[in-house]
Amino acid sequence: MVRLDRIGKRYGRGPWVLRDVSLTVERGEVVVLRGGNGSGKSTLLRVAAGVTAPSAGLVRRGASVGYVPERFPTGVKLSARDYLRHLADVRGVPVRWDLVEALGFVGEPTAPMATLSKGNTQKIALAQALHATDLLVLDEPWSGLDAAAAGALTDLVASSEAAVVLTDHHGHDVPGAREVALGAVAQGGVVIELDSVGEAFALISSLEGVSAARAVGGGARVEVRAGFSDGVLAEALRLGCSVRSVRS
Amino acid sequence: MTALVRYLLVDVLRTQRWLPPLLVHFAVLGMLYASDAGPPLPAYAGTCVLVYPVSVWLTVVIGTAEDPVRRTVTVVTAGGWARAQAAVTALSVLAALGLALIAALAPVVTQPRPYPPGTVAQGFAALAVCALVGVGVGVLCSRPVITQTGWSVLAATALVALVFLFGRTPPVGNVLWSLSHDDGVTSALTLSGVLAVLFVAGATWLGTAVGPRRG
Repeated sequence: MVRLDRIGKRYGRGPWVLRDVSLTVERGEVVVLRGGNGSGKSTLLRVAAGVTAPSAGLVRRGASVGYVPERFPTGVKLSARDYLRHLADVRGVPVRWDLVEALGFVGEPTAPMATLSKGNTQKIALAQALHATDLLVLDEPWSGLDAAAAGALTDLVASSEAAVVLTDHHGHDVPGAREVALGAVAQGGVVIELDSVGEAFALISSLEGVSAARAVGGGARVEVRAGFSDGVLAEALRLGCSVRSVRS
Repeated sequence: MTALVRYLLVDVLRTQRWLPPLLVHFAVLGMLYASDAGPPLPAYAGTCVLVYPVSVWLTVVIGTAEDPVRRTVTVVTAGGWARAQAAVTALSVLAALGLALIAALAPVVTQPRPYPPGTVAQGFAALAVCALVGVGVGVLCSRPVITQTGWSVLAATALVALVFLFGRTPPVGNVLWSLSHDDGVTSALTLSGVLAVLFVAGATWLGTAVGPRRG
């Protein structure tokens, strides 16, 4: 559980990064923070996790908290196994290597973490946090994960007993998650990625509602204003394009 | 807390950054005690001058072994800045007392003069006080209080030099003076011991207070 009550945060005499933010996340609930770059998502997560003290307002949270920073550092000399074992010891809980296996870790568990790939390092970072039972604070947890690991993480997050607060730039859908907007949120556009566009690119980029279109290899990445996505999709399919992804 | 201290210890051992201060410690002890170092207590005053900066250095190594981002993970896992800072201080105190113990026992093995247990105990107490002051300075000069390596080195050098500039001033100067002159050792050690403990506690508290503001 975490309860943020009218949180404000500024560094020294600098501008307010957060102002008057209130948020309550109960156990078993998942909240996804939305907001553009610099809207204070990471700062709010750090306040929720207890890394940063708010300049104003109150925070109450459970005792067992897990935190995954936006970029887990490279160059850690400890091995993945030792790191997880020691952090579990600090929590006073048995180490759960099954979390690492569920995320599809394929690195060498006894080699220094510095030698692991970004994805595998991220899996270790996630596994240490998932040992927590009251609150999970995850900053861009899907970054660096392949599709299988991303799916596994979504399942772990959705089934977690702890309260979960996270940020995500990749449009992952966690079943039952509540979205909270922070600051000015970009107006609900839709990004459509198409394959086998070829000659139709000029036609598609001139369709009504298309705000930006960029040819990518044989395909295209099309940004569409809210409300026009269905029409653009239908027209793209009619022109013989193949849809690779649609994200909001 | 034990698990946290153990984690920090294993982590710092893997960095090998502890090696330079330890080598300096052994090298200077070797030079001091290669030949007859004179009467025991003044000789201990010499090693106090060594143990103090080496403790500062070792404490900074322990305090900064984790990079700032990994420290935030540790802070959250441990349940707050206070515990993380306390663990850093605890490990640094253990390491510094280890340095003091080595420095206290070195002359017993190498010197031809008699080193009765009472003298060794006094020497160890003096070395321990200087080592503790070193821990306090080290905590003040590492993250989260001073976050940049350059300032950290400058501040540590300045604080070490400052203590030697002020002659008989506690907590280090009075100990050195009393050992060199074999005069009022016990009272100097009592005063400086209390001051050193308060200083270490204060420095740790400062880290706990500053960490979440900067974090």
